[in-house]
Amino acid sequence: MVGNPMAAQPGSLSVAVVDDHPVVIEGIQAWLSQEPRISVRHTGEAVEVQPGAVDVLILDLNLHGRLVVDDIGTLAAAGQRVIAFSQFTEQRVVLESLEAGACEFVAKNEGRAHLVNAVLAAAGDRPYVTPTAAGVLVGDRGASRPRLSSQERTALLWWFQSMSKASVARRMGVSVHTVDIYIRRARVKYAQVGRTAPTKADMLARAIEDGLVTPDDITGYESAAFTGN
Amino acid sequence: MTADAAENSTENSTENSTENSTEDVTEDVAEGVVATRFGKVVDLGLVAIVGVWHLGLDSMRVLKSWPVYEPPAVAAGAWLALTLIQTVGSVLLLRSALGARTARILAGAALVTGVVAATAYPPGGAISDASWAWNTVGWFGMLLLMRRPLWELITLLGANTAVTVGFLAADGALDHVTLSRLLASVYVTAGIQLTFAYLVRQLDDGAREATEIAAAQAEHLARATADETVHTERRRRYAYLRIRVEPLLRGLAESRLDPSDTVVRRRAAVEAARLRRLFVETDDTPHPLLHELRACADVAERRGVRVTLLSYGELPDLPPAVRRELAEGTLLVLATAVTRARLTVVTTPEEVAVSVVADAAAGTRGEPTGLLTTSSTYDQEEEQLWWETRWPLSPAP
Repeated sequence: MVGNPMAAQPGSLSVAVVDDHPVVIEGIQAWLSQEPRISVRHTGEAVEVQPGAVDVLILDLNLHGRLVVDDIGTLAAAGQRVIAFSQFTEQRVVLESLEAGACEFVAKNEGRAHLVNAVLAAAGDRPYVTPTAAGVLVGDRGASRPRLSSQERTALLWWFQSMSKASVARRMGVSVHTVDIYIRRARVKYAQVGRTAPTKADMLARAIEDGLVTPDDITGYESAAFTGN
Repeated sequence: MTADAAENSTENSTENSTENSTEDVTEDVAEGVVATRFGKVVDLGLVAIVGVWHLGLDSMRVLKSWPVYEPPAVAAGAWLALTLIQTVGSVLLLRSALGARTARILAGAALVTGVVAATAYPPGGAISDASWAWNTVGWFGMLLLMRRPLWELITLLGANTAVTVGFLAADGALDHVTLSRLLASVYVTAGIQLTFAYLVRQLDDGAREATEIAAAQAEHLARATADETVHTERRRRYAYLRIRVEPLLRGLAESRLDPSDTVVRRRAAVEAARLRRLFVETDDTPHPLLHELRACADVAERRGVRVTLLSYGELPDLPPAVRRELAEGTLLVLATAVTRARLTVVTTPEEVAVSVVADAAAGTRGEPTGLLTTSSTYDQEEEQLWWETRWPLSPAP
């Protein structure tokens, strides 16, 4: 795995884009080109990326009519950071992508800022939650869902409703930074449920390093780290 | 116009579905009781009677009179042939696969076998302990022709009796004594068989009639309930129109209200959305709340507002009153939205949260209700109204 991409030189954060529509690939390239730290090293219409060749893979979930959620599992198992990028925003698709080990889910209609932020966050093994993903997580009634605090639930719900962390912060009476912590903490809790993957273990390890969560918050973290690495 | 169309389609769908289910019920009742249950019992009874008669009684009589048959092989052959006919007929009858042609052919074959059997009787023995086949052929007629028109059975029984009379006449045995014995025999064989057939028919008709009456009553009841529901719905909608919409329309018609006035336009937009929601309230859809919210969004979209509607989490069944209240604030905010609105529904394990964020006027407020937790804030910095209402879900056991 690449060392510490967040502190890297301009253009040193390598990205691959896989999408079956060339117009989408070009659009993403245009979006990412405005961010000097990122350089797109590979584009393609099929999942033929060597795991580890790039820091982050942006993967369209629907390639030529086929959902490629399973491929996320394979890539994540090999340590490849994947951002699921899709026009399909059904709850099941989003949850399955994250469960398979995708670092983030970004809906295609969510725009440039969310995608760029997701890439930067993923490269540093840090969580980033788009409003769509927030709605999915707070609406998850699955049996294996992690236990979220009431602030975490509120932050996720209101982030989904308003799409403005500043609005959520004003409404909750806390700082934007705190809102962001609630949201990221909720996301990190999802990294420790379901099957383990190196990408999930990396996210958990980084979250503990950053002080976002303590090992006590994450039950089963140790085993996740061991089996993951 | 849109409202009319919506109302019509709603009512049609309600009435159609009621009609279909009523027809299904009627058919089920008719088939279930008459054709299957009663008919099966009669068929089973016949198969049992004929089985006991032929395999039991006939076998004993043939064996007992074995020495007097001339030749005995004919009696044995006739007995075997009738056993075959009986088996085929019984199986087909119990499988409800006995067609008209097959029934007639089998009955004819039974009659012919009866004639063959009679040729082996001793002279003048057509009515005696040895004459086993006469009565048996009659019962075979019952078995095979019970579901056929009555005249077919009468024809067979008549022909069967004629065979006996013919043999008696041929033997020159038709004296007074034999004649009275013949009449007595006809009475206890063909007479009883015909009476039995007649009674079964009467019971059959009675059962069918009872079923038809029951089905008609069930249909009537279903129709009445459906009519009642439709009527109640209509009255509720009418009451609503009278209280909320009529004053608005009257005001516009009498020029007391100015259509160019923003307040009037907003009121009209709200009432239009309420009506749209009201008309789709009784639609049969998997997610009524989303269906109703979509109807509200549709009205706003016609005004040029860009509406996004998103829903996450499995929506539970919500009572109409709760749906009405969840939608009420939504449509108030949507009615005042200028260019955009984000409408979200989230079902968490604890509650259903409906929210609208729109560039709507700061003063938009729903009427406070006791059922729901509603909050509304105007975000000065983002110049948008953020309205939210929640319906608590009872915790899962």
